[in-house]
Amino acid sequence: MSDQGYQTEGTGLGVLAWIGVSIVSFAVFLAMFSPWIIPYDPTQATENVSMPPPPLSAWPSLFWQTIVDGAPVPHWFGTDASGLDVFSRTIEATRTDLIIALSANIVSIIIGVSLGVISGYYKNLWTETLLRTSDLLQSFPVFITAMILVALAGRSWVNIVLAMSLLYAPIYLRLTRSEVLALRERGFIESARSLGKTEFAIARQHIFPNAIGSSLIQFSVTIGFAILLTAGLSFVGAGVRPPTPEWGSMIATGATQLVLGDWWPSLFPGIAISVTVFGFAICGHVLEKRYGR
Amino acid sequence: MADSQNTVLSAHGLSVEYADDSPTLADINIDLKAGEIVGLTGGSGSGKSTLAYALLALTRHSARITGGRVEFGNRDLLALSDIELEQIRGRDIALIVQNPRSALHPMYQVGQQISRVYQTHGGSRGAMAQQRAIEMLRLVGINDPERRADAFVHELSGGMAQRVLIALALSTNPKILIADEPTSGLDVTVQAQFLDTMWETSRKTGTAMMLVTQEPGILANYCDRVIELDAGRVIKDVSASEFVYGSILQSTDSPVSDQNACQVGEPLVMVEGLRKTFPLRGTKKVVQAVDDVSLSLFKGESVGLVGESGSGKSTVGRCLLKLLESDAGKITFDGQDLTDATGESLRQLRRRIQIVQQDPYDSFDPRWTIEQSLRDPIEIHNIVPIADAKTAIEDSLNRVSVELSTLARRPKDVSAGVLQRIAIARALLTKPDFLVLDEPTSMLAPQGRHIILDVLKQLRTDLDLSYLLISHDLTSVASACDRVVVMYLGQVVEVGPTSDIFSKPAHPYTKALIGAHLEESPQTRRVDKSDRLDLEGEIPSPIDLPVGCYLATRCLQAKGACHTERQELEKLNSHHDVRCMRASEIELDEAS
Repeated sequence: MSDQGYQTEGTGLGVLAWIGVSIVSFAVFLAMFSPWIIPYDPTQATENVSMPPPPLSAWPSLFWQTIVDGAPVPHWFGTDASGLDVFSRTIEATRTDLIIALSANIVSIIIGVSLGVISGYYKNLWTETLLRTSDLLQSFPVFITAMILVALAGRSWVNIVLAMSLLYAPIYLRLTRSEVLALRERGFIESARSLGKTEFAIARQHIFPNAIGSSLIQFSVTIGFAILLTAGLSFVGAGVRPPTPEWGSMIATGATQLVLGDWWPSLFPGIAISVTVFGFAICGHVLEKRYGR
Repeated sequence: MADSQNTVLSAHGLSVEYADDSPTLADINIDLKAGEIVGLTGGSGSGKSTLAYALLALTRHSARITGGRVEFGNRDLLALSDIELEQIRGRDIALIVQNPRSALHPMYQVGQQISRVYQTHGGSRGAMAQQRAIEMLRLVGINDPERRADAFVHELSGGMAQRVLIALALSTNPKILIADEPTSGLDVTVQAQFLDTMWETSRKTGTAMMLVTQEPGILANYCDRVIELDAGRVIKDVSASEFVYGSILQSTDSPVSDQNACQVGEPLVMVEGLRKTFPLRGTKKVVQAVDDVSLSLFKGESVGLVGESGSGKSTVGRCLLKLLESDAGKITFDGQDLTDATGESLRQLRRRIQIVQQDPYDSFDPRWTIEQSLRDPIEIHNIVPIADAKTAIEDSLNRVSVELSTLARRPKDVSAGVLQRIAIARALLTKPDFLVLDEPTSMLAPQGRHIILDVLKQLRTDLDLSYLLISHDLTSVASACDRVVVMYLGQVVEVGPTSDIFSKPAHPYTKALIGAHLEESPQTRRVDKSDRLDLEGEIPSPIDLPVGCYLATRCLQAKGACHTERQELEKLNSHHDVRCMRASEIELDEAS
């Protein structure tokens, strides 16, 4: 009776969910099909250097000419100082950033959740050490730590993924552990125990499935962070090596041209980052509102 | 009765709608007369609370008052502005909500909270207001009100907080007091004390009261008139003596049946000198939850384990299943030592001992359907071949009379009463010899409670099942038990056959428990009795236990030695034990 009249489905959530899901699916679509979408090789310079994008008003007619008359594809977002097509690179970068962010999160959720279940279940020297280590990892500024780790291990995407996994795993570990601690006190765990179920079966059938929910919600939010971090690392030169198209490094190379008035090489990847991170953040928010506690 | 002079509040055609399809109040016409206590009842979801709130022109989130009038004096409350309402609420109409602890401000002393309300509504200020607060606290029966006025909420027990709330509500001399399930979550003795206070206050001050409750006992004992709601409509508005209590439940309280105490041979379950303490975080102190408890249970026997919250009865139940490790003592089950059992042997023993927990919603995995949850015990112990599992599950549901269509549902879509019966069905699937039922009825509405007890009685005849029924309400479980064990603060204070316990209870605590039970009959109202066998105050903290008899601080019969000497469980006769040195003395006193 007391929780009567408390609505979980707000009216505003529907629109917000739509926006978030659209953004995320569009990003995933671009990442999957970028080779068929992009008009130019993203790592091959053209002879047009620092060419500004055509004015927006000219886009429809340019588009028409390209499709119908077979005119050469214009540089929609212009070209950078080396003559690389910004449009093709921005889209191809979706692939780079999403793959890195996604793999880092998958690795960290697997490590974090499994260690979280173990540390929630057993309280001994090992799990205590584990928890203090994760505290230690979380106490450093994420960005600096990631930078140092990548600098030490070498600038390959595998190393970036590993460094980020190490930083994000504690988030999932903490989250899962607190869920497990709460679940252990629940009546249905006691029921299962008195029914004669083994501890392993209880952990696998009851604890794990009920504990994973909040981590899956966190997953969506953390992907957004991971994209920001990937871009940030490249921006300071500790990320993927150029000329691999990547939003952060694109902004960095474009930034030097900014003083000359060439706004386009950094603006478009900048928008791409903001929109993508925003999309994932909304999805996380919506998931939390709908399924979170 | 028809004189409109006395009517202080009346609702005409009151309607409330919810945005979703929650209960809607339609065309409610009720009135409340000065000095009258009205019980507002109905099943869950019938709109009782919604109506109580609407009378104050309040609605819950997403609800809307869509029509009607609530007349107070010559004014329509629904037509008033918020500022005008603020003056009426609290001064003329007060509300007591369900959870007293969350209704009081955690950072102000309770006396200050009372004096503030008093001041806000035009009472005197400063020391006078504080005096008023203390006066009110005394009025609602709080001992040492001067000191209690300086207490914060967290320093008060639930019962005391509930009384502070009523003191706060009454401080402005309201004409009307609306109480929404004021005693849910209180122990039976505290509930009786609290309701007595409310009843006396109403009679003294002439305040009209509306008690929202599902308990037929409360309606019968304290109300003058009963209004019953069903699906948002008034279906009954009669005086309490005319109200048919059977309409909310089928009274099945048959006297304790056969006393064929089959106490032959070895007991099935034997507990000797069980002790369990819980360390208190950050201190060296311990909570003494179970203090030297011994009990035995024979095959086919049903025993009730009764006591208020904090008496350690649930801890005993959980030690029996080895869900908790005991500190000392020995538990034997069918000749096997349970205390030493581990691994596979423990698993096998657990098949034969099952537990039904207090909160049915908590005892099922929320992600699993009922069928999955019921299949579980069969698969764990290979009770029947997998092919026959479905039949076994259906049989078990039939046994507790639950429809088979619930199998596909998840726990949240099943009502509490039905889910609790499914919990019993699940426990029975392992074909246990012994069942521990830990307050199986305390979370349920009165109807559900009676059904559970009926199911238990049926199982006893059908399956010759032995069970330990843990409860805080002695009377309500009596019909389902052969013997009763009464616990207080971790000790067994009285053991005996159910009939003996009821006909000649020996321990003052047992007497108080029996006295606190609210009979569902308006003929034997508790408030009409001159001597209510009562206890003072509330259960002491199990951290700093009294030196002598644990009950001495609350017992009206306590004398000198009671406060200094530890009491032992002594035989009254061959099967009736009591832990009270004055038991026979008191009996003589009463007889004379």
